[in-house]
Amino acid sequence: MKNPQRSPTNPGSLRSRFTQVFLQSLLRIRKHNPTSSSSSSHGEFLKRCRRVKVAAYVSMARAVGTRRAWSRATLWRARNGERQRNLLYGRCSKSNSRERSLGKRKRKKKKKKKRDNEEHSFGHAKKLQKLVPGGEAMDFCCLLDETAHYIKCLITQVKVMRSIADFYSL
Amino acid sequence: MNNSGGSGGDDMGFPDGGNSAANCPSSGMIANSISEEVPMMAMSSMSTLERPPISVDPFFTSGWDTLASLSHNENYGSSSLVSHGNFVGSSYPVLMDNQGFGRNGSTQLAQCLSDPRLQYIGSGSISEMVGGSFGLPELNHLANHGSLPNSASNINSSGCERNSEKGAQSCECQNSGEEPDGSSAGDRRRKRSPDPSSQYCSNKNNEGDNSDVLRLQNEKKQKIEQPESADFSKHNTKQSKDDSSNDGEAPKENYIHMRARRGQATNSHSLAERVRREKISERMRMLQELVPGCNKITGKAVMLDEIINYVQSLQQQVEFLSMKLSTLIPGMSIDLEKALSKEAHSRGGGATNLALNPGMGLPHLYAQGVLKGTLPIMPSTDQYRPLSFTGWRASSSL
Repeated sequence: MKNPQRSPTNPGSLRSRFTQVFLQSLLRIRKHNPTSSSSSSHGEFLKRCRRVKVAAYVSMARAVGTRRAWSRATLWRARNGERQRNLLYGRCSKSNSRERSLGKRKRKKKKKKKRDNEEHSFGHAKKLQKLVPGGEAMDFCCLLDETAHYIKCLITQVKVMRSIADFYSL
Repeated sequence: MNNSGGSGGDDMGFPDGGNSAANCPSSGMIANSISEEVPMMAMSSMSTLERPPISVDPFFTSGWDTLASLSHNENYGSSSLVSHGNFVGSSYPVLMDNQGFGRNGSTQLAQCLSDPRLQYIGSGSISEMVGGSFGLPELNHLANHGSLPNSASNINSSGCERNSEKGAQSCECQNSGEEPDGSSAGDRRRKRSPDPSSQYCSNKNNEGDNSDVLRLQNEKKQKIEQPESADFSKHNTKQSKDDSSNDGEAPKENYIHMRARRGQATNSHSLAERVRREKISERMRMLQELVPGCNKITGKAVMLDEIINYVQSLQQQVEFLSMKLSTLIPGMSIDLEKALSKEAHSRGGGATNLALNPGMGLPHLYAQGVLKGTLPIMPSTDQYRPLSFTGWRASSSL
């Protein structure tokens, strides 16, 4: 099922969808930043970099749709990113941060117990869970599945971005 | 022996065929009319049609000849194997015959058709058909050649007539159709009486009882014939213990059917765990194909580390490319976008031959100036994608 999506000649394929959405978002970013390159400061440049990066991930998630857990998590994160940050760090005091870290430690212990009951390789998978968006709430089997799809999409994304960069840098 | 060799080769084809076979189990068809040695030996090779004859003389009775005569050889992929007097290693030709028969609308086969699932056989590949027709209903992994021997013995069941008529043909039906005719012939290999075979043709629900008998018999046979083949034993479970999770009921295709191996625990927990473990190993294999350079890695931990590294490097590449693109944004124009999208579709990541945009020079210089400072920060991704990174190095050195 995924193979027809992968063929470059297929107009509805993942790559073409991603390319369209990504180029649109790039142009949108360009519109929002009318300042010329020479006057941009380093900070602004970094901001724009981050925006482009987020746009790349979001456009890939949009091209994939909501079928996949990682794409849903990416879109949700992008939508609620600002809100999340405000809630977590906006008005947090030191005590709050301490509580939060304590809660994390407790949660880690619980997770550890669960992990002991599950497969031993799940310990390694914790790192993978952090890498794959939305991987925290998955069991090992689903995590591997999502990782495979995520890797495929990342490869497509890198290829398209590189071709765009090569195109515009010539 | 041959079986072990064949089973080794069969493993490749099975993961694909296994699911399909599970969908079309020959539940009722199982009646052992064929001698145990022949079907077990002959059926063991799922993927290879040309199996050397294994003392299969008694297997090839005149009844088969009549069947073969009915067959339209051109319909079969293995038609070369189909010869009237020669059934060497030819459980397949028989199967193929069935397939052809079904297509031709042979009435004999039509009668024999069992479950709706057998319909699948007509469209499937040989291995699927064999697996589907031979496998006892809940065989998840038809790659286990063990399934064949059991099913082979079950093939000729007189009770197959009960099976509903469907488009698919199973050789078992054929056999069952033939057997009553040829039962009088002294050449019949079937060591089992038609009665238990008819029982096997009954619904799957009843199969649990009969299958125990059958399996025990199969076990004995296989112990005699191929004690070394562990694959066969997959078929022969200690059914007496295993009732809960086993497929004795529910011919539904929604269930994942598993057979416990010989010498393994058969309670539902371990079976479910085994299913889960196999799922995980299957996914690890998929990931192994995706991640470059992981063909030689065996072991989940190392493999996971490789996967993690690969994902991290891909994400770093995305970050690097986004940085590159953000510097090139001022040079982007809408009319170029269409050409670019077309080009991005057609090509992979290769360089473009499109006309240069004179406005690109500035962003390029700017990029150089800015990125010079950030280059040392960029992590090296040489293992996976050195191209873009070295390209920047070259430009920055100018």
